[in-house]
Amino acid sequence: MAARILLIEDDPSLAEMVSEYLGQAGFRVSAAGSGNEGLERLAREPFDALVLDLTLPDLDGLEVCRRLRARADTPVLMLTARGDAMDRVVGLELGADDYLPKPFEPRELLARLRAILRRRSGPETGDVLRFGRVEIDRGARALRLDGAERALTGYQFALLLALAENAGRVMSREALMDRLKGEPLEAFDRSIDVHVSRIRQALEDDPKHPRRILTVRGAGYVFAKAQD
Amino acid sequence: MRRLYLRIYLAVLASLAVFALAAGLLWRQFADTGIVRPATEIAAVLAQNALPPPQAPLAAQQAALERLSAGLRADVTLFGADGTPQAWVGDPLPPPAAERHESGWLRRHAGPPAWGLRLADGRWLVAGMPLTRRHPAWGLFYTLAILALGVGVGAYPVVRRLTRRLENLQAGVESLGAGDFAARVKVEGGDEVARLAESFNRAAARIEQLLAAHKALLANASHELRTPLTRIRMALELMKEGAEPRRKAQLEQDIAELDALIDEILLASRLDAVQAREADEEVDLLALAAEECARYEGAELHGEPVALHGDPRLLRRLIRNLLENAARHGAPPVEVRVRRGARGAEISVCDRGPGVPQEDRERVFEPFFRRAGGKERAGAGLGLALVRQIARRHGGDAHCLPREGGGSSFVVELA
Repeated sequence: MAARILLIEDDPSLAEMVSEYLGQAGFRVSAAGSGNEGLERLAREPFDALVLDLTLPDLDGLEVCRRLRARADTPVLMLTARGDAMDRVVGLELGADDYLPKPFEPRELLARLRAILRRRSGPETGDVLRFGRVEIDRGARALRLDGAERALTGYQFALLLALAENAGRVMSREALMDRLKGEPLEAFDRSIDVHVSRIRQALEDDPKHPRRILTVRGAGYVFAKAQD
Repeated sequence: MRRLYLRIYLAVLASLAVFALAAGLLWRQFADTGIVRPATEIAAVLAQNALPPPQAPLAAQQAALERLSAGLRADVTLFGADGTPQAWVGDPLPPPAAERHESGWLRRHAGPPAWGLRLADGRWLVAGMPLTRRHPAWGLFYTLAILALGVGVGAYPVVRRLTRRLENLQAGVESLGAGDFAARVKVEGGDEVARLAESFNRAAARIEQLLAAHKALLANASHELRTPLTRIRMALELMKEGAEPRRKAQLEQDIAELDALIDEILLASRLDAVQAREADEEVDLLALAAEECARYEGAELHGEPVALHGDPRLLRRLIRNLLENAARHGAPPVEVRVRRGARGAEISVCDRGPGVPQEDRERVFEPFFRRAGGKERAGAGLGLALVRQIARRHGGDAHCLPREGGGSSFVVELA
């Protein structure tokens, strides 16, 4: 059955186009033009997810999110103008599941909406590191890209985790070896570089031009903090 | 001397000292001529009338002197007009100096002070003052000194209070200057300092209000400009087969360019309006450079890990803008180098493009700078202006240098 989405957006023309676009993608979309109207709809009807504009004429998106969270855990995708890091932090703290800056790629809206719906329906261990489209599930020791599981050996997962837990910092090969001391070795004692190349095969859109695990010549590897 | 209260206080003390000195001198002058002289003249006439004439025998002189000084607890000596002692009671006293012709205090090198009364016939009656240890003029001086000390001690808290209010006001102005727009000062009393404090508070409130309005404008401008952009982007997607793929791609790029420009204008405006850093955390500059280099084909990164405190979003923007500038105006290979600098960290982005002429090397950091005769469709925009703004916000600066072998080298120091 098609997922029901409530779109709270004060710009009627944009609301109409987003509704049409999401409708074409198979969602059943209802639109509300203000925060109060949206909250009333949410109280009356069941929705699978909420697409919420941050700037609304009456209540702002954060307030709507806070009031919604007081009584339901419907997944929320917040739309906001780009550049306000504060909005993002506060939005996620108040229970928004994801955030998308305007002007967004319509396909990205679709991908993120599907991701938050999947996250809610799937087994959530609560111990997941998320970087854009990448999910590193520490509980299940699994790597997912766009929700699809990617195969890694135990050693490679441990290496990926060591990198991802230090995202945004250059990790030298020695530091990585040190972190992986307790991990049982593979049949062949390959170098870190070989393992990284295998992880890239699983993780990167284009392993020849890696964007997620980057090599810093003479220093080590970095797991990119900002992705997608 | 830098402290205002000390200067005011020392001025008060100096005025008091001058006043005391002048008062002492005036009193002495006035006392000698105005008060003491008539009394001395009367005393001289009375003493002459009470004493026998100069030619009377010495015994008569001695008897008269003893009678005259009975009950006067002082040594008294009568000198003839030639300065010889004729009679005395108690210890004999030295005669007044030969050139002295006026009654008054006599200068003595030792012993208690003496008072000399010159009689009309030229004789001197000199009385020692065994009860007074000092010249009476010193008494006045001490009195004035004690008075000055009293006033000086009393003036200190008054001066200190006045200047402390000025210091509070100064602290308020400094806080405001440092970016604390909620800084206000306490208004005490109803004088000029209090009115100045009120004026400062009013001005600070106005600045805070204007900044809040500016921030609100920035926040709304971002939303108001981006919603129509989102509409255009959405409409483009919904056109589907109706749109020619090449035109559609061009439109998408235009939207992205416009969005980036809005972003830069709003960021530049926010950096102008908000002086304090919005985030301050440890940043691995080499890792940040690696992430940004991954976005550009042919950007090579070299360097050592350097950690510094800063705003990670702004530093990412700084590196991205340098790379964007190299991609747009330079030519590959683009070399990025991160290293520890003299003041903290140094990041340089070098390209093999045509380079920047000497006269434009500072001007490229100006907003919307366009090189004379430049053929590029897009100008430098705000990219390099933001680089410099962000570098300065992190205690450093950005420079454009020529590169050996051709091309340019943009070097940013960060503290």
